[in-house]
Amino acid sequence: MTAVLQERRPGVTAAPPVPPPAARRAHPGAVLAVIGAGAAAAIWLWWHDTPVVHGFGDWLTNAGRITGLLAGYAVVVLVALMARIPPLERGIGADRLARWHSKGGRYAVSLVVAHSLLIVWGYAVSAHTNVVHQTSTLLMTYPDVMAATVAGLLLVVVGVTSARAARRRLRYETWYYLHFYTYLAVALAFSHQFATGADFMTHPMARALWAAMYAAVAAAILWYRFITPIRQAFRHRMRVLAVTREGPNVVSVVIHGRHLDELRAESGQFFRWRFLSPGLWWTSSPYSLSAGPRPNHLRITIKDLGDHSAAVAAVKPGTPVMAEGPYGAVTAAVRRRRKVLLIGGGIGITPLRALFETLPAAPGDLTLLYRASEPADIVFRDELEQLARRRHARLHFVIGRRAELGYDPLSPRALASNVADLKQHDVYVCGPAGMAESVRRALRRAGVPGRQIHHESFEF
Amino acid sequence: MRRVIITAVGTIVGLIMLLSFKTRSAPQATVAVGPSTGAPITTSPTTSAPTANGAPTSPTAPTSGTPGAASGSTSPTTGAPVTKTVTGSAASTRYGPVKVQITVTGGQVTAVRAVEYPTGSSRDQEINSFAIPQLNQEALAAKSAQIDMVSGATYTSSGYITSLQSALSKAGVA
Repeated sequence: MTAVLQERRPGVTAAPPVPPPAARRAHPGAVLAVIGAGAAAAIWLWWHDTPVVHGFGDWLTNAGRITGLLAGYAVVVLVALMARIPPLERGIGADRLARWHSKGGRYAVSLVVAHSLLIVWGYAVSAHTNVVHQTSTLLMTYPDVMAATVAGLLLVVVGVTSARAARRRLRYETWYYLHFYTYLAVALAFSHQFATGADFMTHPMARALWAAMYAAVAAAILWYRFITPIRQAFRHRMRVLAVTREGPNVVSVVIHGRHLDELRAESGQFFRWRFLSPGLWWTSSPYSLSAGPRPNHLRITIKDLGDHSAAVAAVKPGTPVMAEGPYGAVTAAVRRRRKVLLIGGGIGITPLRALFETLPAAPGDLTLLYRASEPADIVFRDELEQLARRRHARLHFVIGRRAELGYDPLSPRALASNVADLKQHDVYVCGPAGMAESVRRALRRAGVPGRQIHHESFEF
Repeated sequence: MRRVIITAVGTIVGLIMLLSFKTRSAPQATVAVGPSTGAPITTSPTTSAPTANGAPTSPTAPTSGTPGAASGSTSPTTGAPVTKTVTGSAASTRYGPVKVQITVTGGQVTAVRAVEYPTGSSRDQEINSFAIPQLNQEALAAKSAQIDMVSGATYTSSGYITSLQSALSKAGVA
């Protein structure tokens, strides 16, 4: 350990790395258990409150009540997952949180739809009227139900636009802003839960707890998503220091700020960046740190992929920046083994570049495998070579299309022959979704345990 | 896709299980009172009107009134058929109280009607407009509180049964 640290001093980009963070991390399993317990409590509320279910109409209505309770709960959990709560971000990772959110989101929208259909149908059967008449009765006599119906439709719209197929046809920014309507939907749907929800009308305790849950999540959203970035902006006063070209479509942006060590950012993490220049200030995008964080400097590296990343490349030095974060769980903290293999593809090299610099490793224990289909796609070639020399780390560039190479360099066999004791390594993977997934499968087939494979994607 | 199907099926099965548990714990248990417990002494409890009042009870009373047969089994007051109206205590439900009034002629229940039931919302009105007549009819036929609940009107039904039971007890019929 000490040898490594001493060796780092004469290096090129060397500056003392930020001291190891003592940030809290939530355990994914524990978080899932808490979410499940909350759902059980919601069902228990119905169970406790319902003496008997009698007849078809009652069956439908009660199924509607259960799905309604679960939907009301699910919506608030989904918002909480996206509240950028630091222990969740560090322990679970933005990527996994987003996946939970999208899976849970589809489920929640289904629950909302099932709830409204079951209630209308159930009420109609009980009242011996038809569904159309019942729908209009419900909408006309209960103003809260009218609001909740609007909320339900909003949620369906957000759900549909988020469905993966639709999203490819939408700009990221459009999708992102449409998502803000969920806050409106949650607010609109809230009143009907107490005004017409049988379980809350008679139980002040249940009502208090339910309201407290909503209030807590609203507070978390307000604090972590809106107030914290502003506080950080004033505290750190970040500005663009330099924009340097790394490759044909790739730029690095160096950002200067004060007290950046207080952010406890780690290599492998990312921030959501908001450049305060015309045309850019209204949107924020996630970019990984491409160098170990310094007390006064952060560096990100961006490939021109869309509207936003193209505009960032043109940003002028001196532009103020707001950074939300740090986020991401694929850091030194998830490591289990002494030896580490980093596999990067395309622009996925950025967080691995930072890890390659700062992951503690004895000479020979650290390997970086950099996959690119063309030599022009390689960025940081000089930096990586210097780092490898200084740290006595191994560096492999695997360049060329599979057809040109005549073999798959990321097959289980190729990986195992390239890296001795592959199974003894922690493997960090970052790259395009297809590549990352095939690498994960190849590693598993080569005998690397799943818990030693660490991956985060930036597909939204 | 498979996960979607598993989740959907799991949710539906879970719902059906929850609901069928609640269906099985039947309503009868709450009001099952044996006929032997009814004290035969007419203590004339709350509002015992000894004559047939103008309510819709009167037309049915004389026709079905063969008090001789019934009086042997239950009533200590032999002789002329006595008609009285007894109102059960209000049973409170989530949506409001339910109060049932019975008319007893010579120890026989000759009329049953709900004098109070939830009408607060249009849904209450809608449900109870068919549930109450149905419950009245069932109660008159059963002449006890052991009647079926009306589908979709669980709360009204259980309130109705409770109030009916109390009316029957007060009248000494049950």
